[in-house]
Amino acid sequence: MSATPTRRIALPAVRGGYLILIGIYFLLPLLAMARFAFQNVPMALLTPEKLLAGWSVSGLWTAITDPQVMSATWTSVQIVALSIVLNLVILVPVAIVTEVRNPALRPLINALTLLPWVIPPIALVVGVAATFRVAAPWFLASTLSLVPFYALWAMPFTYRVLDAGLQAINARTLYEAARGMGASFPTIIFKVILPNMRASMIASAALTAALVLGEFAFASLLLKSTLPTEMVTYQGSDPRGGLALALFVMVVTAVILGLVVKAMRRQGINFQASGF
Amino acid sequence: MTIVSMQGIAKSFGPSRALEDFSIDIASGELICLLGPSGCGKTTALRILAGFEQADCGSVRIDGSDISPLPPEKRGFGMVFQDYSLFPNMTARQNIEFGLRVKRYSAKERTATVDRMVDITRLGEHADKFPHQMSGGQKQRVALARAIATSPRVLLLDEPLSALDAKVRESLRDEIRRLQLEIGVTTLFVTHDQHEALAIADRVGVMSDGRLEQLAAPRELYESPINSFVAGFIGTVNTFTAHRSSDRLWEVLGRTLEASGAIPAGTTAAAVIRPEQLALDTHDTGDSEVRSVAFLGALTRVVLHDASHGRIVADILSADAARLEVGARVKIRVRDDVTEVVLIGAHS
Repeated sequence: MSATPTRRIALPAVRGGYLILIGIYFLLPLLAMARFAFQNVPMALLTPEKLLAGWSVSGLWTAITDPQVMSATWTSVQIVALSIVLNLVILVPVAIVTEVRNPALRPLINALTLLPWVIPPIALVVGVAATFRVAAPWFLASTLSLVPFYALWAMPFTYRVLDAGLQAINARTLYEAARGMGASFPTIIFKVILPNMRASMIASAALTAALVLGEFAFASLLLKSTLPTEMVTYQGSDPRGGLALALFVMVVTAVILGLVVKAMRRQGINFQASGF
Repeated sequence: MTIVSMQGIAKSFGPSRALEDFSIDIASGELICLLGPSGCGKTTALRILAGFEQADCGSVRIDGSDISPLPPEKRGFGMVFQDYSLFPNMTARQNIEFGLRVKRYSAKERTATVDRMVDITRLGEHADKFPHQMSGGQKQRVALARAIATSPRVLLLDEPLSALDAKVRESLRDEIRRLQLEIGVTTLFVTHDQHEALAIADRVGVMSDGRLEQLAAPRELYESPINSFVAGFIGTVNTFTAHRSSDRLWEVLGRTLEASGAIPAGTTAAAVIRPEQLALDTHDTGDSEVRSVAFLGALTRVVLHDASHGRIVADILSADAARLEVGARVKIRVRDDVTEVVLIGAHS
């Protein structure tokens, strides 16, 4: 009897303490970054009266309006869009057919989609570059040559999201129920399965976008100018502006993800069910 | 007239055998329940009939023609699954309409049919709700309406009530039976719940280990089980040793009773005695001890431990149970009005 009240008090305290610790761990570096990026005072001499002095977004403004940053951003937006499309075009049919028609293949497909994780980017890039430099040099010359890399690179994450989405809607029984009513395979896919995959497809698109916006190794190794590589270059010439830009991109990405979740909730789509 | 005929069906999944020499004939308008513990093959039998599984051997005939090569979408059956399987992106009406659209009914026919289905399944104000806005019972009513909307030749129900709570289960069970009789659709209903099966089926097929043990009307199953598995699965039973007095007369617990049904060879057999066929006499030197007494209303269930037969369950009139207490010693006998006994083979 005496243990229960103690536990009741102790658990929220432990939880609260844990949250505060985590909060400090994540927030402190971010706050330090924000000060460095947006406050024009000597860092070493922080006194209470200087806490509110010298804040300005001019560094960020200069970074955002830099022509090279702008063009790299546009490139990244295109790459994000195309990677999402390619990733979904490859994976959605595979996930559906595996789930409803060949569930025995699931472990194999699961393992296959993990492959991009076990090959380091450097090996992938060197291998692919060596092949294409001979076979199709124009492919490597295009900035969009990153799209297939990213579409594959996102696979281990997005396949799991799509697969979890199919499991959550019980795609297999839906398929059987529709078949029992006489529906053809295309009808089942377009009228029943795909409309119910919206949540997992949006979630998987958001994951691809987040991955692409943070990917540096491929782009750098292939000498492409994307937002992440350009941010690193820009930071070389203007450390404060570069950091401001990085923070800005982070906040924008978080806000977009938040809006996606909110929009889906409003439509009654269960985001958890998509495995996100 | 036989509509569905499954003959000599066998099915294995890898090394495990799900069905063995399974044969069943279902008459037009009949409701048959396949009843058995999980893994007994009842769902496999239903899925083979639906076309979702292919039998290793045997034939599936509808109206005399072999439908084994037909895929599920060509069989024209209606099916209800345990987990409702409503399309989440469609309202109840749209779910019911789906099969009608697929079968290219005209808009007018569709509206009329959906209205009628909503009406007979009493969906009323829920018709325009999405599945996630409905309760389990409502969802399963939609699934039922969806399955019968296209006037299927055969209605297949795969544990349709298992996901529902007890009260809803009972009312929906009666509703299924009412609808089935109303539209006269031939129905195969799979369940592991004996009460469900006995309450609604014309005939019940009791299955175990991939075999159909006995297919008979509920009353016949209860009164004349073919073996100890069926006896044990349909209601509570006690088995006592029976000794042969003459060909048809056997002695059980000191009474001579007439054997009903098949008579086993040998001089001893196991006699199936239902709890309500027993009477208890308090007796200081009785062989049985009362272990628990549970008041059930008109009847009281008494669980006893008998020196030679182990655990015995007796349902006696509550009026007669007043003097029974836990620990009391009693003598068990067969009630005077019982004159027949079911024997199920040699008693070990």
